[in-house]
Amino acid sequence: MRYFTVSKNIREAENVNTLEFYDSINIIPGQFIMAWVPGVNQIPLSFSSTGSPKSITVKVYGDASAKIAGMKKGDRIFYEGPYGNGFNNIAGKKLVIGAGSGIAPLIPLIDDDTTGIISGKTAGDIILASKFNPDHLIIATDDGTAGRRGFATEAMREIDIESFDMIYACGPEVMLKAVFDYMKNRDVKCQFSLERSMKCGIGICDSCSINGFQVCHDGPVFTLEQLREMDEFGRTKLTYSGKRVFF
Amino acid sequence: MLETDIGIKLENPFILASGILDENGYTVKRVLESGAGAAVTKSIGSSERRGFEPPVIYSDYNYTINAIGLSNPGIEDYGNEIKIALQAGKPVIGSIFAQTPEEFAGLARKMEGYGAYAIELNLSCPHVNGYGMEVGSDPELVSAIVSEVKSKVNIPVYAKLSPNTSDMMKQANAASKCDGYVLINTIKAMKIDINARMPVLSNIYGGLSGRSVKPVGIRYVYEVKKETGKNVIGVGGINTLEDVLEYIMAGASAVQIGSAVSSRGIALFSDLSLELEKYMEMNSISRVKDLVGVAIR
Ligand SMILES: Cc1cc2nc3c(=O)[nH]c(=O)nc-3n(C[C@H](O)[C@H](O)[C@H](O)COP(=O)(O)O)c2cc1C
Ligand code: FES
Repeated sequence: MRYFTVSKNIREAENVNTLEFYDSINIIPGQFIMAWVPGVNQIPLSFSSTGSPKSITVKVYGDASAKIAGMKKGDRIFYEGPYGNGFNNIAGKKLVIGAGSGIAPLIPLIDDDTTGIISGKTAGDIILASKFNPDHLIIATDDGTAGRRGFATEAMREIDIESFDMIYACGPEVMLKAVFDYMKNRDVKCQFSLERSMKCGIGICDSCSINGFQVCHDGPVFTLEQLREMDEFGRTKLTYSGKRVFF
Repeated sequence: MLETDIGIKLENPFILASGILDENGYTVKRVLESGAGAAVTKSIGSSERRGFEPPVIYSDYNYTINAIGLSNPGIEDYGNEIKIALQAGKPVIGSIFAQTPEEFAGLARKMEGYGAYAIELNLSCPHVNGYGMEVGSDPELVSAIVSEVKSKVNIPVYAKLSPNTSDMMKQANAASKCDGYVLINTIKAMKIDINARMPVLSNIYGGLSGRSVKPVGIRYVYEVKKETGKNVIGVGGINTLEDVLEYIMAGASAVQIGSAVSSRGIALFSDLSLELEKYMEMNSISRVKDLVGVAIR
């Protein structure tokens, strides 16, 4: 295993921390690592900064993410990777749509010409909003405690999505499916970053598959055209044992 | 030209090994469509099983160590996956694991009912207590399992044996009623991270596969083919055409490929087919069969 040495821990919100580190490893935005917390667990994490310093932004879900979120300067983040294909980062007018901690891997794509939509269940789920120009940011929460009330698709209605050269989206699959359905019959280009249960990260265990494609290896980023061919998208998923269940 | 016969006919000798991209029907279908001659399913048991907690795999250029822990959706739910996989129009071999002859036979009958072309008995997984190798290292039990399964199904039955016991021939003789041997499964092994000062796998032990196990696989394929003359399917560390030829010359009528899929991608099945075809043309060999076991002395 390799490791990053933490140089800074920044608290983003209750239960969300960004860990910074300096390392020469080359990372394409959207790629991820399998981060190992010895004796605890191993989890996939993507990068919220791919420049210098690099960073990961972690939301506490279980023991491993809690351990990582609590790391101090000098602590080591053990990992294998980077894995996956990453986003094709274009020059032009970009829209990024992230739900919850799904906004993190989209941060490296932001430039002056980028608009953001961040969604979450409640105000506490909205993170990394400060990375955007406030004039080019729409926030939506299910309960209306921050920004507009409603889902990400509600926020999309407020802008002319066909005016963007590329749309990037990341978040839970049900949210991505809603975004996909909103866009599928419009004249847009889009890249979606999927999340599925991962064990190996290197395309051999089949735990992350969707219609025969491996999210860890063929993805995690797929285009609108690719997802059109996948009838499992947003409909069925695999449990950790490999059993197919409906969302 | 590449056709081979292991009790079932294959259009080429390259088979996807159990446990690699074969838990899900869509993935098996995609691998078959990309050029594999056949595919073995992930080993399936009587009920859904979660397997071990991550990390369950450690891998580098030379080897892979896995302790997936026989995670699988369970036999009842697996019919649908086989149905999807069979849409590719090529043989799907059902791998099963269990503890008793009756349980193995029940699973085998289900697999046959689902349309599997053959059964592979996992008598060799090295990292789950009570299954695999623990079953496979008891010759009387192995013999009872093979007899029971053979008496209950009409499709070929292969015994996948373990290199972890002291005497491979004892296992092979115990399984002699089978239609072919699959050699080898992984070798019990472990990985320690020197910076964390800890075993990497949550289960501590796992099964070694990849480049580093090939010489062990070659030896057992050679030995078992020479002693029994039966069909042998070679598996362990195959990455290149040279590896394939070594296995075939040692006595394998077909080969399975696992770990190498990670570095070479699923295109490796069609790539190897082309390379083998070229090799055969250049050496005026018209059938794979003419190469099987030619190195045996
Ligand atoms: C991730 C992984 C999972 C495996 N799962 C199984 C399994 O469920 N049943 C089985 O019989 N063998 C299993 N194996 C063993 C392989 O089928 C094969 O025998 C072994 O990996 C050697 O081949 P290779 O070097 O080409 O990988 C697994 C191997 C790996 C790497
Ligand atoms: S995590 Fe193993 S194939 Fe993707």
